[in-house]
Amino acid sequence: MSSSITSSSSMSIPAVLRRSTLYAILLIGALLSVGPYLLTLNAAFKRPADLLSTDAWTPAHPATFANFADVWNQYGMSSFLLHTLAVSVVVTAGQVVFSAMAAYALARLEFPGRDWLFWGYLATMMVPQMITLVPLFLMMRDLGMVDTYAGLVLPTVFGTPYGVFLVRQHFMTIPKDLESAARIDGATTWGIFVRIMLPLSRPILATLATITFINTWNNLIWPLIITNSDRTRVITVGIAALQGQHASDLPHIVLAGAAIALLPLIVVFLVFQRHIVRSIALTGLK
Amino acid sequence: MEAYILLTPSLIGFLLFLLAPIAGVVVISFFDWNLMGSPRFVGLANYREIAGDSEVWRAVRNTVYYVVLNIPAQTVLALLLALAMNRRMRGGKVLRVLFVLPWMAMPVALGIVWNWAFDPQHGVINQFLSLFGVDGPAWLSSTTWAMPVLASVNVWQYTGYTMLFLLAGLQAIPESLYEAADLDGAGPVQRFFRITLPLLRPSMFFVLVTNTIGSFQMFDTVYVMTQGGPGGSTDTMNFHIYQQAFQLFRSGYASALAMLLFALILLVTAAQVLYFRKRTVYDFS
Repeated sequence: MSSSITSSSSMSIPAVLRRSTLYAILLIGALLSVGPYLLTLNAAFKRPADLLSTDAWTPAHPATFANFADVWNQYGMSSFLLHTLAVSVVVTAGQVVFSAMAAYALARLEFPGRDWLFWGYLATMMVPQMITLVPLFLMMRDLGMVDTYAGLVLPTVFGTPYGVFLVRQHFMTIPKDLESAARIDGATTWGIFVRIMLPLSRPILATLATITFINTWNNLIWPLIITNSDRTRVITVGIAALQGQHASDLPHIVLAGAAIALLPLIVVFLVFQRHIVRSIALTGLK
Repeated sequence: MEAYILLTPSLIGFLLFLLAPIAGVVVISFFDWNLMGSPRFVGLANYREIAGDSEVWRAVRNTVYYVVLNIPAQTVLALLLALAMNRRMRGGKVLRVLFVLPWMAMPVALGIVWNWAFDPQHGVINQFLSLFGVDGPAWLSSTTWAMPVLASVNVWQYTGYTMLFLLAGLQAIPESLYEAADLDGAGPVQRFFRITLPLLRPSMFFVLVTNTIGSFQMFDTVYVMTQGGPGGSTDTMNFHIYQQAFQLFRSGYASALAMLLFALILLVTAAQVLYFRKRTVYDFS
C-alpha cells in the first residue's frame, strides 16, 4: 500500500525533513498515548521500596509478581473481576440481540407510530444519564434489587437508544431486493432477520458489542449506587475503594489493581479495533 | 404484529428504565425527600434554593471552566492529528490504534495512575520537570492547577477518539476539489480554510456536540482524582448532583439540580445546532 521507501530516495531534502519531523511529532504523540499504560505496568512490577526510590521510567528490577498476587488474593480483586465479567457479558449479549431486533423493526417493518418511536429513541440520547439515576435507584429499591446482579444488569440489558440507532442505520443500507426474493421463496420475517440481516451485519454488531462491553466494564456510577457489599461489587467500585483507602500507604497494590483492570479491555480492543475504526468511518458522519 | 414482538424487549427497557426515570426526576424535583420517609411536596422551593446556593453556582462555573479548558484543546489537537494522519504512511494503522488506546481506558483505574503521575514527590511529571531544574507544583492540592490537570487528563483520553471521527470526515472529502483548487493556484492555507474546514463541518458538528454533552456530565475523573477539592475548586455539576443525591440523600434538591444541568446542556447544544445549521451549506450524502 505505502510506497514511502522507494519514493523517499527521490524526494527533495526539504520534503524528507518535513516528513521526518512529522513522524517524530506523531511518535511523541503515540508515546504520550501509551506512556501511562507502560508506566503503570512497570510500576506494578516494582517492589514497594523501589516504587518510591526510583524514577517512574526506571525499569522494574528485580521485577516481582507479589503486588499482583496480593491484590488478587487479599483485596478481593478476583471476585470483583468475576462479577464484572458476568455483568459485562450479560449486558453485551442482551444489548446486541435486543438492539438488533428493535433496529430491524424500525428500519424495515411498517407499523403505526414507527417514525414517532424512532425520534423518541433519539431524543432520549440527549438526556444526561445522571438525571435519571435517582428515580432509577428508587425503582430498583422498590423492586428489591439493590445489591443484586439484576439491579446491575436490568437498566441496560434491554438495549440503549445508541445501540438501536447504530444498527438501524446499518440495516437501512442493506438492499431491499434480498428480502423480497426471500419472501417470494416463503421466508418469514423472523427468518429474514436471522438468516439475511444478521449475517450481513457482523461488523456493526461486533462494534456495538465492543463498545457496550467497554462501557459496561468501565461504568462506575451505577454500580457505585446500586451495590453496597462485596457480594456484587464490580471492579470499578473495588478499584475506587482501594484508591480511597490505600492510595498513600499501599500505592504498589493500587497500581497493580489498576493494571489488572485495564489489561482485559486492551485485549478486547486490540481484537476488535478494525471493526470499530471501519464502522466509525461508515456511520460517524451522519 | 411481528414488529411489536421484535420491539418488545427494547420498548420495556426504553419505557421502564429511560422514560419513567426522566418523568420521575421532574416529579421528585418538586418534593423534599431523603429517600426514606414520605416525600413532602414543596412546590418550587428546591428551585428557589438553587438560586441562592453559592455552591451550586460555583459548580456551574467550574463545569463551564472545565468545558472551556477541555473542548477547544481536545478538538484542535484532534484536528491537527487527523490532518497529519490523513495520508499514506508506513505504520499509519499502528499509530492510529495507539492514539485511540486511551479512549477505552477505565476512568477509575486511570484516575489512580494520574494521581500517581501528578504526585508532588514521587510522580513522573515532577520527576521529569526536575531533570530541567524545574520545581513542579503540588498539582492536585492546588486550587489553581487541579482543574487544568483534570482537563488535560480528559484531553489525553479523548483526543485520539475524536481524531477518528475527524479522520473519517477528511477521507470523505472528494480529492477532485483539491485538484481543482491546485489548478486555480490555491496555496495550502487557502486549501485548508476554503475546502477542508468547510467540508469537515458535519464531522466537526458531531464531534463538538457529543463531546460537549459528555464534558458537561464529567464525573468519574473528579470522583477518583479530587472528590471536588481542593476547596471545591473541582466540584462540577454532575459531582455536586451525585453528592446531594447519594451522600446527603437530598433527592428532591438533586433532581432540581439535574434539571438545571439538563437545561444548561440543552442551551449549549441548541446554540451549537443553530451555529452549524447557519454555516453548513454543503451536503454530499
